[in-house]
Order: sequence, then structure tokens, then C-alpha cells
Amino acid sequence: MGSKGFGGQPEPTEKSRQFILAFKKAMDEDTHQFFCSHLSDLNESLLKDLPLLFCELTKNKKEQYVIAIMFGNFGLSLKQFPLGDRSLNMELGLMALQLVLKVFTRRAFPQDWAKIQNNLGAAYKNYIRGDRADNLEKAIATYELALQIYTREAFSKDWAGTQNNLGIAYIDRIRGDREDNLERAIAAYELALQIYTREAFPKDWAGTQNNLGTAYCKRIRGDRGDNLERAIAAYELALQIYTREAFPEDWAGTQNNLGNAYKDRIRGDRGDNLERAIAAYELALQIYTREAFPKDWAGTQNNLGIAYKDRIRGDRGDNLEKAIFALKLASQIHTREALPEDWAMTQYNLGNVYSDRIQGERADNLEKAIHFFNQAADVFTQKAFPEKWATNQAALAEALMKRAALTNNIQDLVSAIELLQSALIFAVVGSPDFIDTQYRLGKALSRHYEYSHNADDLQQAMQAYEIALEAISPEHYDLKQIWKALPTTQAILGSRLIRDGQWQEGLQLLLNSLTQLKTGDDPLDHANALYQTARGYEVLSDWDNARLFYRDALRLYAHLNDLLGITQSREGLGSVLVSQGYLDKGSVELVQARDNYLQLQKADRAQQVDNIYKAAQRALERQAVEVYA
Amino acid sequence: MNNIDDIFKKSANSIHQLDLRQIPFTESPVDNNTLDRIFTGREAELGKVFNLFQGRDRRRIYIYGRIGIGKTVFLLEVLSALHRNLPKMLSAYISLPANLDLATTALIALAKAMPDDEWAQRQLYQMGIPTEISLKERTSEISASLGLGAKSGEKDLPVTKPLYPAVSLETLIERALIKYPAGVAIAIDDLDKQNPSVVRQLMHDAQGMLKGKAWFLLTGHPMGMTRDLLTSERGLFDLQLPLEELDQPTTYKMLINYLNSERINNKCDDPKDPRSVLPFLPETAKKLCEVSLGKPRLFNRLGITILNTATALQVKIITPEVLEKSLKAAELSLRQKAALTAQEERVRAFLQEHGNISDETISMQDLEQLGFRAYNEVLPILERLEEADLAHQLNQDDTKIFAPILLPIGQAVPSIKN
Repeated sequence: MGSKGFGGQPEPTEKSRQFILAFKKAMDEDTHQFFCSHLSDLNESLLKDLPLLFCELTKNKKEQYVIAIMFGNFGLSLKQFPLGDRSLNMELGLMALQLVLKVFTRRAFPQDWAKIQNNLGAAYKNYIRGDRADNLEKAIATYELALQIYTREAFSKDWAGTQNNLGIAYIDRIRGDREDNLERAIAAYELALQIYTREAFPKDWAGTQNNLGTAYCKRIRGDRGDNLERAIAAYELALQIYTREAFPEDWAGTQNNLGNAYKDRIRGDRGDNLERAIAAYELALQIYTREAFPKDWAGTQNNLGIAYKDRIRGDRGDNLEKAIFALKLASQIHTREALPEDWAMTQYNLGNVYSDRIQGERADNLEKAIHFFNQAADVFTQKAFPEKWATNQAALAEALMKRAALTNNIQDLVSAIELLQSALIFAVVGSPDFIDTQYRLGKALSRHYEYSHNADDLQQAMQAYEIALEAISPEHYDLKQIWKALPTTQAILGSRLIRDGQWQEGLQLLLNSLTQLKTGDDPLDHANALYQTARGYEVLSDWDNARLFYRDALRLYAHLNDLLGITQSREGLGSVLVSQGYLDKGSVELVQARDNYLQLQKADRAQQVDNIYKAAQRALERQAVEVYA
Repeated sequence: MNNIDDIFKKSANSIHQLDLRQIPFTESPVDNNTLDRIFTGREAELGKVFNLFQGRDRRRIYIYGRIGIGKTVFLLEVLSALHRNLPKMLSAYISLPANLDLATTALIALAKAMPDDEWAQRQLYQMGIPTEISLKERTSEISASLGLGAKSGEKDLPVTKPLYPAVSLETLIERALIKYPAGVAIAIDDLDKQNPSVVRQLMHDAQGMLKGKAWFLLTGHPMGMTRDLLTSERGLFDLQLPLEELDQPTTYKMLINYLNSERINNKCDDPKDPRSVLPFLPETAKKLCEVSLGKPRLFNRLGITILNTATALQVKIITPEVLEKSLKAAELSLRQKAALTAQEERVRAFLQEHGNISDETISMQDLEQLGFRAYNEVLPILERLEEADLAHQLNQDDTKIFAPILLPIGQAVPSIKN
């Protein structure tokens, strides 16, 4: 019973008292074992009694320090204890540490006080109960308090450790400006690394390098390509100390992070980067087994699934099967009950893979895709996760459009249009999601026009396409999301990057878009991307590849009877052949292109082509004169 | 003498029957002496390269050509000639490792060529590459007691990658130039084994290095290069040297050189003398040259199979019948070695049936039959077939056209079942 009589001070229960005293005796032994055998004593009643117990036990001034230390140990060991009610354990741990500060005051024991503040900060950061944003603010505040005592000059190692922890808190921080928070995190890690050198503190140095890598992966400021290169470099440094033999768990974690960085990498060859990502994830899974590290195992399986979905090398059908396999493994741990947000993300990813799946029955695949997107929508509601909701809506719309194309079901198109229009209300204008959703809306409306013959549909479709095209500009596009963008967006952005002089990045985008479009449902999108790729190579003066891709575009446009596409491809091919000195062959293409432009009533373009044709003719005549001279 | 030794002797005797010490054809690298004896042709190309070494300017040479055309052998022959004729020039060779930039690659090559330079060896050690010298770091501690001396200890150096490989390379070149005043030549081979876009990026990143104080010779393919990198006016290379297929008379001469390099008796190098191509007859020698299409690697692969077949059949002369059998065996062996996927096999069979495939003439129907929508998707498979010597690209600059290698089709011997 908690209280004694009317009007008296509340007292702790005898059970709680006995529990704490038993802990005091067992403190020097295995605390994990102790908690396992006293699981039922870790309850809400203990939470209420803890401050009372502390008060009671520290009344004796001779004993107060011993008691405070005991509560400190209790707090530290319990907050990491994995069994029982984790949120309750964390709260008990947090409370215990707060109580310790009543004895170990800043004035009397500054160093111990700072140490406890540092531990408190870590406790707040991981605290599940209450408002997460609040908890992180508290974590940051307590770290800052610790740093008032842990100065670089007086306590360099502790200072570095606290800087590192502060960095971690800033990465997760919800309040404040996100960009700013990430900069603060990076700054904190850099400070830590001034003391955590490789020679003096190799393990801490490696840990901070790993954290720095994560910060650069998320960084908003600066050039995205650069940031990812720095992330990769930091992870590679960490792995020099985090070897598999010496630090298997840390090694696995860093491999997983490295995989993420390669998966998002913009520089270098996309195909190569994805191979490296897959290799890194596979390495991580050697340690992250399901039995030993279920949550990490599931997370890495999820990442592996995404990497296989995007993979360029190998057979696309096979890759998508591997993606499904990995994502299904992830969903064994990412259950809706235990980890709803992770579960929803895995459902969304599965939806995407089934939407593109090559093996199996098409109709069946699309049914499953739609099912998965609907599942994800149960958690990714507009209120709780507005951005993810919008992305999920758009992906669901895409799957419905594909089903409509298969079954000629106009209702699916109507549903898709509604989904896309509602997603657009909440999309940030100019963002990658906005662009892709506009593009999809244009496509849905133009398909609907084929049934409705309503001119409004066509007009709205053109509007949507124009908005999407206008919004794609290399300076403003958020490159962080480029690999998630529609392949058609990638192709357009790629060609614009090339036009603006960023040749390598542009080409990577074009080639990446082709990987997905070549097995996609829309051959016209594929033809357009082939044409854009040809133009890109032409700008790079890579005539051989330009010619190859113009011919491919021409062949596919001809198969689709797309006169404009045929004409543009002939123009490009003719121009390249002439540049390479194949004047006869080039002229044949140019003449056809000119005549087609006239047929399409594009007199200006016809004139341009005619100019090139006439120049080629003059060159031919000169050649003939030289031969006969 | 036991039975196994008898089998070995019998096998050796079969080769000796052909008046050869051993099979002279090989796909593996050969030592310089052998290389000098078998290297044939390419006089014009060698002349162009050697011209560049007659001046003071450091030059950058890009040697390109199809897989199996003899780029590595050409490069090694150039280095061998430089070594003989310019003893005060240091040359270094390396095949480009995967996932390594050009500056670090060049640094490794040069450091390996300077085994007596401790700084060079330290660079290798720090990169985790074994050196001949064992390197240690000296530390010293002052003992706590007053008046007693210091003690010193040693510990192994930690392994680190070079932070600034281009700067380290520059430093190493400077050191090399002190001992080798005629210059430093660094040869980096096998850029064509990497993805073209990776090579493009490597070249972009290495522009500074390539304009430095050494001669650079690189081999690769032109596919991954953009015009601005290739042109000498504002690009990187002073000479872009294509290696084409050898013509028939040169291939015939090459066959003579190969055979002479292992002939036991009766060496003869006159192409008009039938003895020069023994154990081949002149007609079977010509057939080998025709079928190998002037590609040294294919020539060697076929040569190995032909002589193996001849020894298995215990013959002394390679008659047309023996050759036919050998070429069938070679075709089968090439296919088995290639381990084609179902899709690749489909493309190979299509090529065999149609005679050739090009981006200019292939139809949508053909592509759909092969399971593609665009020729650029078939191209990697065709290149893989070329690498496996099951196809070859014809020399037409305005189209990418592939034809099958014309070998008689070999049949797999069915396994005997009880």
C-alpha cells in the first residue's frame, strides 16, 4: 500500500523497497540476469515509488552517495534492457538518472554531474514516451549542459564524446530548420574528430566517421553529388577500423550505410554504384542475421530489395524477383503491429516492384500492386504522413492506369485521375513529387481522352505536361530524390543537364531511365528516352552512340507510327551521319526529315533541316570536283 | 617408371612428333624473349609510337582496338624496345585494377618498377601491397627513471590509402627522373575491361596527371571516349593509335614465327617454303589464318585446339581432315567456355542463321524475336560474343555490324548411359 493513514506523506510500497534493495546487492553482478528474474517488478508502481524510495534512502547523509551511485547504475543498465515493456524501462531509467542529480549537483560534483547530463541526453534521445520532438529538444539541452563542464581543454575525451552525441541528436531533431540541424550535426562531428583521432581513439574515431557519413547522406546544403562522395569517404574510413573480425556489428552497420550511400550516389556509373550497394548490403547480412539482429536484418533486406528494384546489370526480370524476395523477408519483421511505419514503407516498395514485375501474370501483378499500395495507405494517411501519402497515392494511380490499359476499364482511369488531383493539392510546387504527379496526370487525362473524346481532357493533359516540363530545371531539381523519380522525368532532366554542361550526370540519368523504360508498358516513353539519349550523345560529340540511339529511336517510333518522332530522329541521324562524313547516307535521312516536317506543317524546322541538307550537297559536289580534278 | 609417367611421356612425344618442343600458342602472357620471337607485323604502328620518343616532349599515347586484337602484346613490345634502346629511360607496366583511379594505378606501377627506392616502397607498403623491403616505424620512449637512457621500439606501419595519389605520383616521377634522365614511361593496360562510362570518368579525373612529367601509354577502346578527350588540340592524347586486324600475309608470317619459336629441328622462316609452317600444310595454314580473321587471340585459341587435336589423333601433319575436326572441336570449346545464358545463346543462334546483325538493318520484328526493343540492348551481348570469339565486328564505321565466326559446328559427344 502506498500511503499510510490520512494526511501522511506517501510512502513507497514494500515490494518496490525490497526490489531496490535487492538490486543494490546484485549491482556488481549481472544486472541483465537480475532484471530477467525480476521482470514483473518493473512496473508502473515502481515508477511511482522510485522518487519516494530515493528520498527515503538518501535521508542518511552518509549513505546518500552510495545510493545515488546505485540509482545511476540502475538507470543506465535498465534503459538498455531489451525485455519487458521497453518504454517503461526507458522511463524508469530516465527517472533514476534525474534523481541522481539531486545528490551529484553541479556545484559539488561538476564532473559527475556532467557525466549524468550526458547519459540523460542519450536517454532522452531514445525515449519512446511523450512527444518525440520535445524529447529531442531535452536531449540537446542536456548535452549542452554537459558541455559547460566538459570543455575541450579540461576533459577533451568527454568533450569529444558529448559532441558526437550532440551530433546524433541534431540529426534526429524535428524542430528547427532541418538544413540548419544537419549543419550543426556535421559541425559537432568535426569537433569530435579533433580529439577522436585515428591514432589515439581508433574505435571512437571510426564511430564518428560513420556518423559523419550519415550526416552527409542526409545533408541538404551544398552539392548533392559532393555530399554523397564525402559520405562514402567517411564510411570507408570507418571500415578501416570497423573490421569484420574486430567489430562485427559496427562493421555490418557501416556496410549497410555504405550501401545506402552507393544506392543514392549521383557520381560515377549508376550500374557500378548499384552493384556496390548490393555487395555492401550482402556483407551486412552476414552479421545481421534474423536471429541475432532482427530489426537490422529486416532494414537491410528492405534496402537490398530497393537496390535490386533499381538494378541495371543482369536480367531485369530476375532482379525484380530478387527485390520481391528481399522485401517479403523484411515484412516478416516489419509487421504492422510492431513497426507500422516500416511496415507501410515495405508495402509501398512491394507495390512498386509488383507494378513493374515482368514474370508472372500481368493482371495478377497489378492486382497485388494495388493491394500493397492500399495497405500502405492505411498507415500513410494524409494527416500523419502527408508526403508519403501523396507519393503512395501517385504510385497507386500509376498501377490503376496500367490496369486500365490492360483491361480497358475506364473507371480505373477515373480513379487514377482523382487520386492524382488530390495528391497535387498537397504537393510542394516544383518538388520531384509534384513534377511526377503532374506528368502522370497528363498521361491519365490523355488516355481518358481516347475514351471520352472530350477536348477538355486533352487540354488539361497538355497543361499538366507543360507544368511538369517547366518545373524540371537542373538548378532547382532536388537531386536527393532523383533515383526515385519517374524514368521519364530522369530522361528529361538528364537531357537538360547535358544541355547545361553537366554531361556525366546527365548521361547517367538518361541511361538509367532507359533501364526501366525498356521493359515498361509504354513504348512511346521508351522511344522518347532513346531519342533524348541520342541527342545527349550528340551534344557530347559521341557520334557512334548518337547514331546508334537515333536509329533505335527511329525504329521504335516507326513501329508506333509516331510521325513527329520519326521525323526528329531522321533529322538527328542525318545530322550525325553528315558530321561523320557520310554525306550520301546523311542526305537521304535529311531529305526525308525535311519532307516530313512540311507534312507536319512545321515549316521552320523544315527550313533548318533543308539548310543542313544543302550544306551536305555542296560538300558532296566539292568532293566530286576534287575527285575529277 | 609408373603408368602415369608413361602417359606423360606419351603426351610429350606426341608434340615432339610434330617437331615442336611444346605447343607455341598461348593466351597467357609470355616472357620478353619469347615475345620478341613471335611478335609479328605492326611495323607502321610501331614506327608512329617510336617517332614520339625521339623528342623531349612527354607524350600521351592511346592505343585502341577490339578485344583480342593484340593491344597488350603491342604495348609490351614497345616497352621491351624502349628498354633495349633507351637504357636511361624507366618504363613501368600495369593492368588497370578494378575500382582504382588512374593516378593510384600509375603510382603502383612506377613504385613497383623502383624496388631500390625506399620512398617508392613505402608508398606500396602503405597501400597494403607487398614489398621486398620490410618497413618498420621507429618509436622511442624515455624511461620514467631519471638518468636512465631511452629505449627504442619498432611497430609495423598502419595500412592507409594515398590521400593525394596525383601528388605522390608526381613526387615519385621526380625521384625516378634523377636516376633515369631519359624519362619515365608508364603503361596502363586494359582500360577496355572496365565499363566505358567508368573509363570516361577516370580520364576526366586524370587530366592533370596525364599532362605531367611522364610518358603515358594507355590501351582501351574508343567507345567510352568523348571527342574532347581524344583530340590532341584541346584533348589529352598526342597519338590515338588504332590496332586493326592483321592481314593474311602477316598472320601467315606470325604462324611461322610461333612455330619456329618451339621448333626442334629444321627452322625455316621463308613463307614460300612449305616447311616453314610444318606440321601444317600450306593450305591448312592459310585456312587457320583465314578463320582467325587476323585477331591474334583467336589465332592462339584455335592454334591450341588444333595442336591438341593433332596430338590426340597422333598425327604428324595437319591435313584438311585434321583441321576440320580441330575447328569443330574449337567451336564447341569456345561455346562451352563462354557458358552463354539462354538469351545470349538466342542471339548467337540468330547471328549464325542470319549471317550478320547491324543497327542499320535490324527490324523491330527481329528485335522482338530476340526479346528486345532496341539494338543498344543487344549490343552488350554481341560484344560478349565477340569477347568469347563467337562473333566479330566488321570494320564499317557507319554502322555497328557483327558477323559470326565461321567455324564448322561442333557436336557435343553424348554421354554414355548404362
